[in-house]
Amino acid sequence: MGVLYHFFTGGTFWDTIGGFYQSTVFIYGTSLLMAYALLAIMSLTSIQRYMKKNSTTDINIIVESPLAPGISVVAPAYNEGVTIISNVRSLLTFNYPKFEVIIVNDGSTDDTLEKLIDEFELVHVEYAFRERLNCEPIKRIFKSTNRAYEKLVVVDKVNGKSKADASNAGINISSYEYFLCTDVDCILDKDTLIRLIKPFMDEETTKVKEVGKPCEECGYVHIEEDYRRVIASGATLRMVNSCDVDEGLMIRVRPPRRLLPRFQEMEYIRAYMLGKMGWDLINAVPNVSGGLGMFDKEIAVKAGGYDSKSFGEDMDMITRMCAFMKDNKRKYAVKYVPLTLCWTEGPTTLKVFGRQRSRWGRGLAQIMSIHRKIILNPRYGRLGLIVFPYAFLYELLAPVVEFTGVLFYIYLIVTGQINWPFAIILIVFVYTYSVMITTLALLWDQLTFKYYKTWGETIGLCLMAFLEPFIYHPLIMFFAIKGYFNFVTGRKHVWGNMQRQGFGMQPTKKKAAAATS
Amino acid sequence: MSNILVIEDDDIMLKAIRNILRKDGHEVLTAKDGKEAFERLDNDEYDVVITDLMMPYANGLEVVSRLRSNPTKRHVGVIVCSSVGNEETITEAFRLGADDYLKKPIMAGELMIRIRKLLANRSSGAKLVTKKK
Amino acid sequence: MWRDLVDLLFQAYEQFSLLPLFIEIALAFIVIAILATIIAYGAIMYKRYKSYVHEKRVAFIGPVIEEMITEQVLLNENLGRDIPTEEIEFDQAALNDKVYKKPFVRQILIETLVQYRKNFRGEVGDLLRKLYIDMDLQKDSFNKLKSLRWEKKIKAVVELTQMDITISDVTILPLTNSTNPSLRAAARNAYVQLSKNEPFKFFDIATEPLLPWDQLELFKIITTTKDIAIPNFSRWVSYSTNKSIVSFCLKLIAHYDQQSAIPAVMELLNNKDHYFRADAIACLGKLSADAAEEKMVKIYNHQPLNCQIEILKAMGSIASGRHLEFLKSEFLYSSNFDIRMNAARAIIRHNTQNSRMLVEELMEMTYEENQLIIKHCLNPLIKY
Repeated sequence: MGVLYHFFTGGTFWDTIGGFYQSTVFIYGTSLLMAYALLAIMSLTSIQRYMKKNSTTDINIIVESPLAPGISVVAPAYNEGVTIISNVRSLLTFNYPKFEVIIVNDGSTDDTLEKLIDEFELVHVEYAFRERLNCEPIKRIFKSTNRAYEKLVVVDKVNGKSKADASNAGINISSYEYFLCTDVDCILDKDTLIRLIKPFMDEETTKVKEVGKPCEECGYVHIEEDYRRVIASGATLRMVNSCDVDEGLMIRVRPPRRLLPRFQEMEYIRAYMLGKMGWDLINAVPNVSGGLGMFDKEIAVKAGGYDSKSFGEDMDMITRMCAFMKDNKRKYAVKYVPLTLCWTEGPTTLKVFGRQRSRWGRGLAQIMSIHRKIILNPRYGRLGLIVFPYAFLYELLAPVVEFTGVLFYIYLIVTGQINWPFAIILIVFVYTYSVMITTLALLWDQLTFKYYKTWGETIGLCLMAFLEPFIYHPLIMFFAIKGYFNFVTGRKHVWGNMQRQGFGMQPTKKKAAAATS
Repeated sequence: MSNILVIEDDDIMLKAIRNILRKDGHEVLTAKDGKEAFERLDNDEYDVVITDLMMPYANGLEVVSRLRSNPTKRHVGVIVCSSVGNEETITEAFRLGADDYLKKPIMAGELMIRIRKLLANRSSGAKLVTKKK
Repeated sequence: MWRDLVDLLFQAYEQFSLLPLFIEIALAFIVIAILATIIAYGAIMYKRYKSYVHEKRVAFIGPVIEEMITEQVLLNENLGRDIPTEEIEFDQAALNDKVYKKPFVRQILIETLVQYRKNFRGEVGDLLRKLYIDMDLQKDSFNKLKSLRWEKKIKAVVELTQMDITISDVTILPLTNSTNPSLRAAARNAYVQLSKNEPFKFFDIATEPLLPWDQLELFKIITTTKDIAIPNFSRWVSYSTNKSIVSFCLKLIAHYDQQSAIPAVMELLNNKDHYFRADAIACLGKLSADAAEEKMVKIYNHQPLNCQIEILKAMGSIASGRHLEFLKSEFLYSSNFDIRMNAARAIIRHNTQNSRMLVEELMEMTYEENQLIIKHCLNPLIKY
């Protein structure tokens, strides 16, 4: 950086700013990379712990048990006419003894509802329910006259322009104490319910202590629960794009052939196996993905359910649930399972992908600003001191820092001040490091279950790590910043439905083709 | 003897039941999931169907309901054989028209006796069949 | 040449030490990252190779084992002839095949047998157990029990319990106090299933809470083990200080319909913990404890919502018909939706002449939302 000093002989101001910026960025970058390394170690511990513990348990024991808790599966559907039947059918075949499937027809404009009525012999029933969460009006509720489909409930509601609104309607109708949130076009593993309910049932230590004197109103001493209540659990998602799927059933898993979804598969594995599993170890899971998550209904409802105005409704709800527990001085846990239980369609075109990522970026910015009181607030424990600061520093700010960094480099190059050998060393450093982290994540993934059948598929996915920094990463950065920009300018969002449509169209075509072939 | 269709997604159990029933002199066909089961049911005639409850594509209750709602297949004897012990599910199976319910782990001898009984009832007249709702 | 290399390295180090610190760090990390990446690739390859070999082996040996079990057990000529299982002999030649000397084959064999035992009981189940013993497989399991790794120990305990092989108290009891919760649970399950003297002894001594998943496993073992003597669970309801044990006993009381436990369970209605009270009320409901109804109605007004709802549910299953008026007023005047819903359901569940008349009467006198509740509860298509 000596060049710099020589150049800025005239202006000490620029000298200081440049130097300050550089050292800040260096510290920021190094700490980020250290955090990744730490996460990698934590996730390995937590994955091994899970695998050891579960290699010896017979999960099917719950299938035959009358003590199994009930679960409501909530799946919103918007214009899914082509695939709705096989997907609902597959939702009805979960390996679990006590569950219901609530399909929320979110004002579809196609024949989704008619198809459901015909196939499952549905009739309109007069259903009494309490609207505990806000949602657009529910028009009718259907049940099947065929007892073989007694687990199915179909809700027909006015379009609410968001998944959050539809999910809320489903939760209002649900009758069990846990609910699973998913999308009707996701392909779920048949053991999903068992795998996700188990963390709720084997969280260590349940102790209850009494506090204070008998309450004047009821005459009883109120109690304080001194155990960690599991409020949500989630699992890994992958891309369904190149998998063989038959009538809503996963036949063979493959990494996507096309470049864009393939990058996403790699990114998802890294985010779940390295991120969420690492945070799981210290009970600081930041989010349970909207594609697949199981929740404690009582807490979710008390926390207000999904917010239909949020762009990141999944993280928003988890944050409110955690904050609710903290506000009420109760201990909680959010658990993650290192198994892939859900396959979802990843966007294949840059346009749809960009829209999705901008939305995510905007959602993150929105959550950070809505819940800003949580950041660094010791009252919120890990949520305030770990989850939020991390998300703010390394997720929200990262694209911005990177973007300005690139601009700074360009400036240095243009003005000829750059120290090329050093710059190259730094770039190689960041590059090799990021390849390492991704490769480790893929290795951790191999430890759990052999999802890919062939060597070629596995290595083919691993090699993506080498390309990512050049192709995929700049894209994510760009779209995230675009999302922030939309957030700051408060641009009207017109994509509520469009976005869902975009997602819906592709799998529709693809699966239709697969079904006919 | 008689034609039996065994629907079961656990490979070990499927083969085991098939072998035991064949030894007993029955003609046995198998299906490992709901989809295959429906195909087999459409293509062939059976005297008895033994079905699991939870399996891919369609659950056992659907199999029972399809058999009972089809006038030409209404007479087929249905034995549900599952590890599900939850009372509601069992009642549901009977309401849909299952003739018998065996909880896993099963006794092979018992299964054979029940099949024989079912077949005997059936051959003793179509009256019995019509009595069932 | 060796000297040249040393010189070169030395020069490189000199150069290196002249660099600024952050570049030094960066260079060090480049080396680490490259090495780690290469090792990770190696590990991925190795892992896949290992699972490939394992799959190959299973694919080869699986059918052989299955055929042997089919021949020896499922299609055994002596089955169904009222010959005691102990006297049925296997074809020794088939059992002594040298394939079954290999440890991994024996492990797969054990796992397959366990799988079969999950599907078959009775004569076939007993014969499977005899095969396990005759092939000396319990020795393999007991060896695993000596392993230092807890997951292996659990495996052994599970195999032995599945095969109904007695483990001596000296071996199993220390494991029930293990610091590892999974091992502790497995050992406890084994003890309940295999102990001939006092299977429920640990109910007296357990201080750790019984997690819901443990309860699931224990419940299965208690309800499916053949010769287990079912005690009167009210004993622990009255005397145990471990709440999770008491609430587990409530479930067992309901399952075994132990009417004699009603007074002990009724004592819990005075308990301070309202979650606990709710469990007790639910249990009384399942027992259809007529005697408890009066008391429940009496304490009703002082209860938190969850207990009130449980009381209404319990009254629905007791259905004595003595408190229809009470249910009616709850239905008509409660401001809480869930209470009205459960009151309506309780009335309907009575299913007597009186209750049906009451439902009709309510249908006429109440407002729209309440009518909807009644229609909802009357609809056979809706379960909850």
